[in-house]
Amino acid sequence: MTDLTAQPKQRLFDPFEFLARYGTLIALALLIVFNLIFTRNFASMQTVNVNLTQVCTIVIVAVGMTLVIGTGGIDLSVGSLMAISGALAPMIFLGKILPIGNIYLAVAAAMIIAVLIAGIFGLFNGWLIARFRIQPIVATLVLFIAGRGIAQVMTNGNLQTFRVPEFQFIGLGRILGVPVQVILMAIIVIIAAWVLKRTVFGRQIIAIGGNERAAELSGIAVSKVKLIVYGISGLCAGIAGLIVIAINSSSDANLVGLGMELDAIAAVAVGGTLLSGGKATIIGTLLGAMTIQLVRYTLLSNGVPDAAALVVKAGIIVLAVWIQQQGRHA
Amino acid sequence: MNVTRRTLLLTSAIGLAATMVAGSAFAASPPLKKKDTYKVGFAQTESNNPWRLAQTASMQEEAKKRGWQLVYTDAASSAAKQVADVNSMIAQGVDLIFLAPREEKPLIPAIKAAKNAGIPVILLDRSVDPSLAKAGEDYVTFIGSDFIEEGQRVADWLVANGNGKTKIIELEGSTGSSPANDRKKGFDDVIAKHSDFKILASQTGDFARDKGRQVAETLLQAHPDADVIYAHNDEMAIGAISAIEAAGKVPGKDILVLSIDGGKEAVQGVVDGKIAAVVECNPRFGPKAFDTAVAYANGDKIPEKIINPDQFYDSKNAKELLGTAY
Repeated sequence: MTDLTAQPKQRLFDPFEFLARYGTLIALALLIVFNLIFTRNFASMQTVNVNLTQVCTIVIVAVGMTLVIGTGGIDLSVGSLMAISGALAPMIFLGKILPIGNIYLAVAAAMIIAVLIAGIFGLFNGWLIARFRIQPIVATLVLFIAGRGIAQVMTNGNLQTFRVPEFQFIGLGRILGVPVQVILMAIIVIIAAWVLKRTVFGRQIIAIGGNERAAELSGIAVSKVKLIVYGISGLCAGIAGLIVIAINSSSDANLVGLGMELDAIAAVAVGGTLLSGGKATIIGTLLGAMTIQLVRYTLLSNGVPDAAALVVKAGIIVLAVWIQQQGRHA
Repeated sequence: MNVTRRTLLLTSAIGLAATMVAGSAFAASPPLKKKDTYKVGFAQTESNNPWRLAQTASMQEEAKKRGWQLVYTDAASSAAKQVADVNSMIAQGVDLIFLAPREEKPLIPAIKAAKNAGIPVILLDRSVDPSLAKAGEDYVTFIGSDFIEEGQRVADWLVANGNGKTKIIELEGSTGSSPANDRKKGFDDVIAKHSDFKILASQTGDFARDKGRQVAETLLQAHPDADVIYAHNDEMAIGAISAIEAAGKVPGKDILVLSIDGGKEAVQGVVDGKIAAVVECNPRFGPKAFDTAVAYANGDKIPEKIINPDQFYDSKNAKELLGTAY
């Protein structure tokens, strides 16, 4: 933010600037305090577990989404890609496509192939956007619609149920008492935060989002960066799809990842990433997702109907975006 | 033939009279001629769950057994496609249409179109808006489960077999859907009569496993004293079992899980002791549906609503009935 320091500052303390930077953190802290006072049995490890396990698929998808939005794009296809990876993996480890004798081998193959396929679909998004200069919202709409159809055709729209502990480890297992999916989430968040902050690739993402033409003129391979970013978003969606089906011991192509794109975008927006690109924060996204999750938890456990929770969620998004705008223009 | 003004007037007058007579006859649902075999249509709403698959199989089996020709369509969760499906059955000249209407209002035009074409319609498992179409007039009858009774049976079982487990978490189906409304009403009304039982929380899980699990996790955390979970369908009950296990409790022992639908997975859950009791929502419509069609052709009086009997599974009978669950 060099332009800000160059300007002579009229006020020493700008409340909007402050809120834009720390608003999510403050909201999260306030929510926790509220719950400690009003929600029964809030102060326990199990509460932390419940909230972390419920939020982790959203966070994983939202990490990919943050990178995409950082370039000024958007990815609507993530929910459908989750459905594809969630439909494909059981077909492989249940031996419906090709029989693999060893269960560990089958599970490994299922995970790798399912996530890679989701990644390839992500690359397809990136290819449409980079090669043909189709607007991201339209390009990813293609797979948003077709992706769920592909998943339904693969499974004939049937529910696949399974009991394969070797696979379900990623959704149900614990390492040193910490749920495996939470560990996965932490690893993905840390790597992405590091990439975005410390690597050339991360700076290129922000540069493209800030001013694509300028980025191109300064020698950044814009097409390549975009391709990779959408590929990463696909990979993240693929991983999240596996976690969802592992927890539920079933895969329903109609439901896996339904509405996930909007949850992820909401988390990114609340977390303080500019939806127009050029400014992105992975930690913000993590906090944003947790805020939305905690709001839902708070309302549910205090007996407020789910429909009302949706309205409150929308209100938070509006508030977050408004604060951001104020912070920018102040 | 030379058409004079007089003959034209006469014929049109006769035609008009005929239409009026026919019109008054059509106030009742169109009749079905007595025949040995029929060509009937079955407009299914979707095939994405075991319940629907079992329903379709039952209809096809019964048609085969009787040697009737069955025209089968699947609307793939689209009310618009289902209307088109019914219209194409009318065009194919079926004798009778079995319709599982996806939604209460959008299917009304299809029912009216069939009536105008002189084809009787029998509704299966879901009904239509009673202010827009009436049994006996626009369609013959509705065959289905009594959702209120399903809720009552679960509650009655709990009152009799609860063994001191009285604090209930209820996982509702999709807000506003008739099975969710009725299963809640049937259950809640019985529970309200027994002051020792208490519903701690009641929230929607959208009939889905993942949502049911998440809501159950949250509610169990907020109400750790809960010892009964009543889910409006199997999927949410199975989700709730994962939630109970994740909370470090034992389903069936610490917390009783009660469900409605009675698919194979849930009945297996009863056998395993994880689900305490489940009321079946019977998908085997074939025999009852075809019997009703024959009775209608014979001119019998058909009631406005025919209840398809539901099975009940608990630890006493689940093992022997597992093979018959859908």
